[in-house]
Amino acid sequence: MKPHRRKKLGIILFIAAGLSVAVGFTAFALKQNINMFYTPTQVAEGEVGPGQHFRIGGMVKTGTVLGATDSLKVNFVATDFVSDVPIQYEGILPDLFREGQGIVAEGEMDAAGVFQASRVLAKHDENFMSPEVKAALDAAGASTENHMPAGTN
Amino acid sequence: MWVWFFKLGSPKWFYELSGKWLPWLIGAMVIFMTVGVVWGLVFLPPDYQQGFTSRILIVHVAVAGTSLAFFPLMFVAGTITLVWRMKLADMVAKHAAILGAWFSFITLATGSLWGSVMWGTWWEWTDSRLVSMLFQLFLLLGVISLRSALEDSDAAAKACALLSIVGCINVVIIKYSVEWWNTLHQVSSPVTTDASSPNGPEFWIATLIMIVAVYLFLSVSLILSTRNEILERERKAQWVQDLVLKS
Repeated sequence: MKPHRRKKLGIILFIAAGLSVAVGFTAFALKQNINMFYTPTQVAEGEVGPGQHFRIGGMVKTGTVLGATDSLKVNFVATDFVSDVPIQYEGILPDLFREGQGIVAEGEMDAAGVFQASRVLAKHDENFMSPEVKAALDAAGASTENHMPAGTN
Repeated sequence: MWVWFFKLGSPKWFYELSGKWLPWLIGAMVIFMTVGVVWGLVFLPPDYQQGFTSRILIVHVAVAGTSLAFFPLMFVAGTITLVWRMKLADMVAKHAAILGAWFSFITLATGSLWGSVMWGTWWEWTDSRLVSMLFQLFLLLGVISLRSALEDSDAAAKACALLSIVGCINVVIIKYSVEWWNTLHQVSSPVTTDASSPNGPEFWIATLIMIVAVYLFLSVSLILSTRNEILERERKAQWVQDLVLKS
């Protein structure tokens, strides 16, 4: 390779490497800001200020979903298996919403420590199964519940 | 090795060689695309909670994965443009940007479609996977507009090459966004050869065929548009005029 070409190639590789490092540091510094939601443990540890509008992500705890019979009000508990946060929501839930499902709720904490959600989204995990496989796994007693979303533990 | 490398920089040589490859590539593309689409959209088993909506992901995963190949390709082409000044590299880069923008758009559209049903929202500004993918689309549109904004084609080639090299870092962010940060978007599915566990062969073989089909589609489209670009830019060359007179 001719010297002037080698020099140019060196400059390009240097720019690429420098940029990677810069972006890496920026991403690390912005870690919490880029996260879409807080986990129940982060909420329990007081990482969210009072009156702050934020999103919380976790699993719908089995046996905690209580729907009103005369309205669209629903109460449930979101958990990351370390801490729990009770959530109240009024509105239409996504089809995927069920016990053991990952969800992301948006809203704020009220004075009683209940998260008043204005929006509830369902989170789908990375697992795909046909109904036959699901039935076979259930019959074998294996747990096929959705697992915690990545990056939350 | 260097002889081969410099030969590749000759538009005439590439035009002749790619002409020989094309029938094979197109044949393979038609076969893989037909099998992939029919299997993925007609015979793929439903997911136990998503039902048939999961079939959208056969297309989404294949196009999204392939769309991440454009910036690395433009990185290599841009480096060759800046260091060795090969005209062919710039021609490939020009059309890679246009194709890449379409791939990114289809990724976003199919993802939104699936998200609107499964998540209950078609777009979330706070999800880093979604936003970094949108950023890729904007970057590619930026490369395309940069080229058309600069009249001097040599300056345009250099500017686009530099933007492509810088923009390549975004691919890493897209790829790892779901692991580095909390997102609504799921992480990549781990595949398994065990047919009785989640993500078994019944799902991923169809996806794999579709990925190969989309990569072949990308190669064929890129070669066809690069060949057009060669004829356009080399129209004054003797071999192009001979070619036109012959046909």
